[in-house]
Amino acid sequence: MERFLAELALFAPAVVFNVYFAAASVPLGFVMAVFLALGKNSANPLISRLSRGYIYAFRGSPLFIQFFMVYSLALSFNVSLWKPMGISWFVLHPLFIGPLVLVLNTAAYTAEIFYGALRAVPRGEIEAARAYGMSQRQQFRHVIWPNLIRLAWPAYTNEVVFLFHATAIVYFALPVIGQQKDLMITAKELFERDYNAFLHFSVAALYFLAVSLVVFFLFGLVYQRLMRHMPAAPGMRFAPKWIR
Amino acid sequence: MMDDIAFWLGYLTNGKHLTWYASFQFTIFAALAGGGLAVVFGLIGATLKNSRFWPLRLIGSIYSSIVRGVPDVLFFLFFPLAFEQGVEWLMATQLCTPETLAAQSAAWPPCKDANWFLGTPEYLILASVSLGLVYGAFATNVIHGALRSVPKGQLEAARAYGMSARQVLWRIHIRQMWIYALPGLSNVWMLIVKATSLLSLLQIADIVLWADRLGAPNFLPTVGLVHEDWRWRYYLVLFVFYILVTLVSERAFGALMRRAGRGILSEAR
Repeated sequence: MERFLAELALFAPAVVFNVYFAAASVPLGFVMAVFLALGKNSANPLISRLSRGYIYAFRGSPLFIQFFMVYSLALSFNVSLWKPMGISWFVLHPLFIGPLVLVLNTAAYTAEIFYGALRAVPRGEIEAARAYGMSQRQQFRHVIWPNLIRLAWPAYTNEVVFLFHATAIVYFALPVIGQQKDLMITAKELFERDYNAFLHFSVAALYFLAVSLVVFFLFGLVYQRLMRHMPAAPGMRFAPKWIR
Repeated sequence: MMDDIAFWLGYLTNGKHLTWYASFQFTIFAALAGGGLAVVFGLIGATLKNSRFWPLRLIGSIYSSIVRGVPDVLFFLFFPLAFEQGVEWLMATQLCTPETLAAQSAAWPPCKDANWFLGTPEYLILASVSLGLVYGAFATNVIHGALRSVPKGQLEAARAYGMSARQVLWRIHIRQMWIYALPGLSNVWMLIVKATSLLSLLQIADIVLWADRLGAPNFLPTVGLVHEDWRWRYYLVLFVFYILVTLVSERAFGALMRRAGRGILSEAR
């Protein structure tokens, strides 16, 4: 038991890195996803094609490869670009590259969710808004967006938890600098020291589980707030489909 | 011009590149074996979840929620290591004597005789099993839902014909379940394909590891610098490879769904 508590304390600094990676990429990914979803729905064939291609490419390839690709690209520009500008310590830092790739990745997945929700916005409401003489901007602000975010929220919650789980592979693709280790690297190093797979990996799993539950809880609160006008809230599903 | 073509032909068919091409077999094997096992574990899990005996139902629910509650990478690393240690512990109970136990200085294995050396084939099989276990939990949910979407009338009709419970299950229920399960299973398959990129974490010299080795700056004392850091090009090739696999899988599942949907009312699709 004491050993278990000591283990919990060992992992506490590590979970900060996972939370950082997820927290740093969620807001930007959200904004980018809204534009990508609107782009995919756009009437302009060029914009639509580009957004569609981007979403397909980043949903159709492994995050692990995306990490390697972006990192090696950044490395190859090092001598010609980052070094002379004196920012290579920043651009090549895992704490920058990690969120960057996660943003690119989660934007594609989230955009697909938002696009699905955008298609599900009731036609009648948009027609009514147009009949009131609302401009495009007003339609989006007052009719489409409120519908979209309520439709997409449960699936978006899953995506955020999945993104948090995806932070587990960041340091398998990027270099570990000093003591900046996330949960998986900590578990792996402890395992290599005393070969106790059951203890170390279970504690890491517990941390992942705990943070996932917190995310579910917080996003559930937001969902309740979003749905406060509804007579009987359908309630957030706490065992939702995890497929993405 | 001819020199260029000759160089590229020679470069792309040198020994290391041929090994790289050959290493695609690991990825393909892991994907196919993992996919097959995922369906098997999914069927088992869904049967447990549907069981009338509550402890079995509990096991099914715990399986499908716990494995999905932690990252796939964690389980992917944990299962092979834990399995290896389990086997070594079993060996230790048989092979170790007090003398060899005392002679062992490292933390693991308990004694030198109880060391199980894992090569690429063993790790590949363990990786496939852990892929099957992780994504079997996803498949459990898909199949569980699909089993419940089969129209009740079909099962009642089968029972009215005098079929036994087993016959109803295998001939009617599971037969008709596929059309509802295929869209979800296609998603699970895409996840498995993407997860095969993680094989190099288990010391398997797969396509990712070789891409890294081949792309690293290549210096030969006799020729000088063959190429600088080309890693991003190799990773770009893998990026495109995985997108193509996704594209082909999508087409294949589309065809499969059309085929499975023959003779079933279109509301199912």
